[in-house]
Amino acid sequence: MAYAINFNVMNPGRERSPVAPLADVAIGLTGVTKRYQRGKGLLTAVSEVTLSVPPGQVIGLLGPNGAGKTTTIKMICGLVLPTAGTITLNGYDVARQRAGAVRQIGAVLEGSRNVYWPLSAWQNLMYFGRLKGLRAVAIRPRAERLLTELGLWERRHESVGSFSRGMQQKVAIAAALITDPPVLLLDEPTIGLDVAAARTVKDWIARLAADEGKTVLLTTHQLGVAQELASRIAVIRDGKIIADLPTGELLSRYAEDRFEIRTRKIPNGLRPGVLPAGGRIEHGAEATRILLPGAGQADLYRVLDGLRAAGSQLISVSQARPGLEDIFLRLIRDGEEGPGAVRATAAERVA
Amino acid sequence: MTAITAPRPGAQGVLGPALRAVGTEAGKGLALMWRRRAITITGIALNGLLYLMIQFFIGGGHLVLPVLALTLPALIAYIVAATAALQGSGGIAEEVNAGTLEQVHLSPARPSLLAAGRLAALAAEGLIPAIVLALAFGLGYRPHWAISPDALVPLALTIADALGYGLLMTALTLRLASIGAVVHVFNMAVMFLGGLFVPITLFPHGIEIFARFVPTALGVEVLNTTLAGRGLAAAWADGTLPWLLAHVAVLAALGWLAYLHTLRRARREGGLSAR
Ligand SMILES: Nc1ncnc2c1ncn2[C@@H]1O[C@H](COP(=O)(O)OP(=O)(O)OP(=O)(O)O)[C@@H](O)[C@H]1O
Ligand SMILES: [Mg+2]
Repeated sequence: MAYAINFNVMNPGRERSPVAPLADVAIGLTGVTKRYQRGKGLLTAVSEVTLSVPPGQVIGLLGPNGAGKTTTIKMICGLVLPTAGTITLNGYDVARQRAGAVRQIGAVLEGSRNVYWPLSAWQNLMYFGRLKGLRAVAIRPRAERLLTELGLWERRHESVGSFSRGMQQKVAIAAALITDPPVLLLDEPTIGLDVAAARTVKDWIARLAADEGKTVLLTTHQLGVAQELASRIAVIRDGKIIADLPTGELLSRYAEDRFEIRTRKIPNGLRPGVLPAGGRIEHGAEATRILLPGAGQADLYRVLDGLRAAGSQLISVSQARPGLEDIFLRLIRDGEEGPGAVRATAAERVA
Repeated sequence: MTAITAPRPGAQGVLGPALRAVGTEAGKGLALMWRRRAITITGIALNGLLYLMIQFFIGGGHLVLPVLALTLPALIAYIVAATAALQGSGGIAEEVNAGTLEQVHLSPARPSLLAAGRLAALAAEGLIPAIVLALAFGLGYRPHWAISPDALVPLALTIADALGYGLLMTALTLRLASIGAVVHVFNMAVMFLGGLFVPITLFPHGIEIFARFVPTALGVEVLNTTLAGRGLAAAWADGTLPWLLAHVAVLAALGWLAYLHTLRRARREGGLSAR
C-alpha cells in the first residue's frame, strides 16, 4: 500500500475512479496462495503473495520456470481460483464481483493462441468485443484503429492462422485491448517473436502505458524487455515474492562498481588472504573469472600481484556494472537477501 | 484512469445482454463451422452414401421403401447426435489447446449463457446436414409417412436427446484425455443400436431393451409411431413416450449440469487451457 501512496504523491494529477472504492490500487493481491492437487499431495504454486499495483504503473513479474508467474496472472483473471487470499481489480473483488472485475482487464496468456486462428482478425476483434458486452457500433471504430496502428488493416479479412507469429501476437494483443480495459495482463508477450516484431510489441506496450495510462502487469524471461518497459520489478521464486522494487532502485542497489579479472587457469592457486572480502572465483571452461565487488584499487593490485605469483596468464581486467540479468540470477540462486532486504521499506518509499 | 463500471442491473435490462451473449457465442460457432464447411459437406455426402449402402445391403441389393421409412428418422437423429458429440468435444478440445476457452471465460457473461450459445451452434451444425439428408432421401424416395403435427413432439424430443448427449461428451472432454475414443465408441453405439440399420423393434427383445437406453433410440421409436399414423396417444399407451420424456429429461439435465460443473472445476484448477 505504501507503494501506491508514494506513486500518487509523484503523480498528483492522476484521476481517480468515481466507482471503485479502492481505485488507488489497480491490481491488488493480499495474501494470495494457490495450492494445486499434485497426485495425492498438494503443490504450492503461489504462496502468500501480496502486491499492490497503482493505476498507470508497468510492473514486471520475473522468475524462473515454475515460479508461479502464470498462476498469479490466471488468478488475477479469475481463471484459477486462489486457495487463500483476495484479489481486486480497480476495487472489484475477482471472486465476488467477477463481472465487474473481468471488465477491467485484457489479457494475453502464455503459450497459447488466445484468438481463433480459423477466423479473420476482424472477426476475432468483433467477437471478443461482443463477448465482453460491447455493441458492434462501439467495436468497429476501435477495431479499425487497433488494426491500422498495428499494420494489419489491409489483411484484416484473412484468417489469423495464415499470419506470421508476430502478426498473430499483435492480433492477440488487439483482442485484449478491444474494450479499452484499464488493466493489461501480459504473460510473456514477446515470446517467440523476432527482433522487429518484439520491437513493435514493446513499443506498443510502452505507448499504452505512457499515453493511455494503462496499468500493465507483464511476465517475461527476457530481462531486457522488463528493464525497458517496467518501472517496477517483482521477482518471484517458488511462489514467493523475493524482491519488489522500482527498476532503477533494484539496479542501483547492486550497481556498486566492481572489477572483473579474466585469466587462464591459475596453476598454483591463489595464496590465502589475497582475495578481498566478497570476492569470488568462477571457473569457466575457457577462462576463470575473478569478481571483486566493491573492491578498491589497492585490492585490485593485490589480486593482480597474487595472480602473477601464482603463474596465471591474464586475459582482461575490466570494471563491470551488473545488469538486471546478473541481479536476477543472484536473487534466484542464493536469495540471500530476504524479502525484507530487497523490498523497499515503507519509509524509504515515501521519502 | 477510470475503472470500467459494471452495468447497473435494470438500467438496460437483463434479457438484452443475456440474449446478446448467447447470440455472440452461437455466431462464433457458426463462423467457425463456415470455415470448415468443406468437412461438413464431405460428412453429408459420406453419411448419405453409407446409409444408402446399408439399406441396399439389408434389402439384398434393393432399396426396401418400408425399411427406409422406418430408418430414415434414425439417420437424422444419428447425424444430429454424432455431430453434436464430435464437434462439441473436438471444438472444446481445440479451444483448450488454443487457449481461447480461457479468453472466452474472461467475458462478464455468465458461463451458462455462453454454454447456451455453444449449444445453439452445435444444434445448427447437427441440424443442417440432417435436414439436407432428410430432404434428399425424403423427396427422392417419398417414404409413406403420415406427417402430422404429432410428429413434432418426438422430433423435438429426439433433437433434445441428441444435444444432451453431445453436451455430455463435450463436458467429458475437459476431464478425459482419451475422449476421442470414447466419443467414437458411443457414436458407433448410436449408429448400430439407434435404429439406423433396422428399426429397434425388430431387435431381439434383450437387445431392444438395452438399445432403448442409447441416445436417440427411444425418440426414433416414438417418431416412427407418429409417422406410421398412430398418434401420440398410442406412443403414450405403449410406454415409449413416457420413457422418452424421462430419457430426455435425464440426459439433457446430465449433459447441462456436467458441462457447467466441469467448466467450474476447470476454472478453479486452471484446466481451461493445456499446460
Ligand atoms: N493447472 C495446474 N495444475 C497443477 N499444477 C500446476 C498447474 N498450473 C501450474 N502448476 C504448477 O505450479 C507451478 C507454477 O507454475 P506456473 O505456470 O505458474 O509457473 P511460471 O512461473 O509461469 O513458469 P514458466 O516460466 O515456465 O511459465 C509449477 O510447478 C507448475 O507445475
Ligand atoms: Mg508461465
